[in-house]
Amino acid sequence: MTATATAEPTRETRVQASPYRLTFVRQLRSELIKLTTVRSTWWSVGIVLLLTVGIAMMIASAIDMPGYPGIQAVISPIQFTMLLAGILGAIAVTGEYSTGMIRSTLSADPVRGSVLAAKSIVLAVFMFVVSLVTFLAAALAVSPILGSKDMAIDWSDAEMSVFPILAASVSMAVFALIGVAFGFLLRSGAGAIAATVGLLFVLPIVVSMFGMAGPDWQWILDAGDYLPMTAAQSVIIPQDGNGLDVSTGYLALAGWVVAGMLAAWAVLRGRDA
Amino acid sequence: MASPHSVEAMITAEGLGKRYGDKTAVDDVSFTVRPGSVTGFLGPNGAGKSTTMRMIVGLDRPSTGRVTVNGQDYRRLRAPLTEVGVLLDAKAVHTGRSARNHLRAMAATHGIPSSRVDDVIDITGIASVARKRAGKFSLGMGQRLGIAAALLGDPHTLILDEPVNGLDPEGVRWVRQFVRHAASEGRTVLLSSHLMSEMAQTADHVIVLGRGKVLADAALPDLVRSWTTARVRLRSPRAAELSQLLSAGAASTSTVVEVTTSAPDTLDVTGIEASRIGDLAAERGIPLHELTPTTGSLEDAYLALTGEAVEYRTRGVETSDTDNQEPS
Repeated sequence: MTATATAEPTRETRVQASPYRLTFVRQLRSELIKLTTVRSTWWSVGIVLLLTVGIAMMIASAIDMPGYPGIQAVISPIQFTMLLAGILGAIAVTGEYSTGMIRSTLSADPVRGSVLAAKSIVLAVFMFVVSLVTFLAAALAVSPILGSKDMAIDWSDAEMSVFPILAASVSMAVFALIGVAFGFLLRSGAGAIAATVGLLFVLPIVVSMFGMAGPDWQWILDAGDYLPMTAAQSVIIPQDGNGLDVSTGYLALAGWVVAGMLAAWAVLRGRDA
Repeated sequence: MASPHSVEAMITAEGLGKRYGDKTAVDDVSFTVRPGSVTGFLGPNGAGKSTTMRMIVGLDRPSTGRVTVNGQDYRRLRAPLTEVGVLLDAKAVHTGRSARNHLRAMAATHGIPSSRVDDVIDITGIASVARKRAGKFSLGMGQRLGIAAALLGDPHTLILDEPVNGLDPEGVRWVRQFVRHAASEGRTVLLSSHLMSEMAQTADHVIVLGRGKVLADAALPDLVRSWTTARVRLRSPRAAELSQLLSAGAASTSTVVEVTTSAPDTLDVTGIEASRIGDLAAERGIPLHELTPTTGSLEDAYLALTGEAVEYRTRGVETSDTDNQEPS
């Protein structure tokens, strides 16, 4: 038993006020450290790079169609890598819930909205940069193949070179944010991944099944144009008379991000961690 | 903002309550944890200790009432890590990240330099495993990592839930000395533990929770005195004679004296002080071979408080400045 009696309750603390402060920029740095110090991030980046370059080279080698836009070969792999973007976003969040890390995160920064914002911004920017580098690497890799077939990417025509790559990179960032939103909404890794894959990959297939349906079902096809992947295709390489126009496509993508973030924020701010 | 003004660091709960569905985990709890001392948080499993701690740091939202740190809602603090260091459980770390990177990420939110990260790694003795993934840590190492994270911002207030759980004896002793030192510097320490002997050596003040309510909130010595009975054990070749003498002497006063004969020459006496027994024996020339006053332990007090018989009863204890009267 302690020999000391109760310390006088009003003793002044001799601990000095601290120079450290919580700021949003510092939170961004913290989120970047968290993202880059787990292996799953680098696995995802590696697979995105491998798939993009590999599939682009396969398409470039196989293609035998005069007038085929070379940039299409570089961009096409997004149909697969979009899933990795979404999954990376989802597990960046659900990994915190499954391990309990979220309690450390929220005790260091108790403002839930700013945790959501910091994590989302870091993931979006990270995914954008990774995608940009990846698509450029793919473009570089396929240029000798396309060049030999007289299909080389014409870099002087931004509409068929730089813009699609930028738009595809933005789309990858959007897919990552959709994963983040599902992560906060569902908290479980399996659930968030299933929801993300469902929205990005399965729903467009379901919609395409109505391609041969009668005019009564046309609204499903019209609505399907607003799905994230379909909207992304409209902004990457716009096709006249097919899908959304570019600005509507970007609006649809922005709509998904806003809706996802609002839903995530509503859930995150109210729920116990 | 770096001026060395003093900060009144305390935790204040007012009518704090938490309901999960129709289960009440914490029910109208009020207490104050003051700086400069170690406050122990005791209670059986499910008593609401961890829930209360989670509400203090804003992880769970109170259903009723409020709890503040330094007069502010935790969620309003501008530099939470420098005001409150919290260890809720050792498993608040991403298993795939190294200990050092975990601490770096936590520190980055407040602009805490990596030199401080290395400091807390050294202080808690995890330097040899700091670059290993936290998922591979033993319970004790995980606990040390959790404490290291709590120390990052050199906080005024420490909230430690079961900090010695899984620690080796050296670690247990380190935690005890560390929190005693922190309190002596004027910091506020709230600490929960199931190890009564450890708590008895560490805490100055104790808050006991049971079924979501405060059963006791008192200085540790007062709590022990109020909830245990002080006894005197004595041995004498003329024990029977002494027994009669003590019982008779008690009859003349208002105090209740109980004498139990546990062996032919051994008596256990309650309700009368050892010095008085010694005087009485000396007056009659009765030889004493042993005269040992014993007080109850914190564990005895805790069990008495939280036991079935007193499950829903709270009982006031005298404050430290009143005389040490035995409750009768």
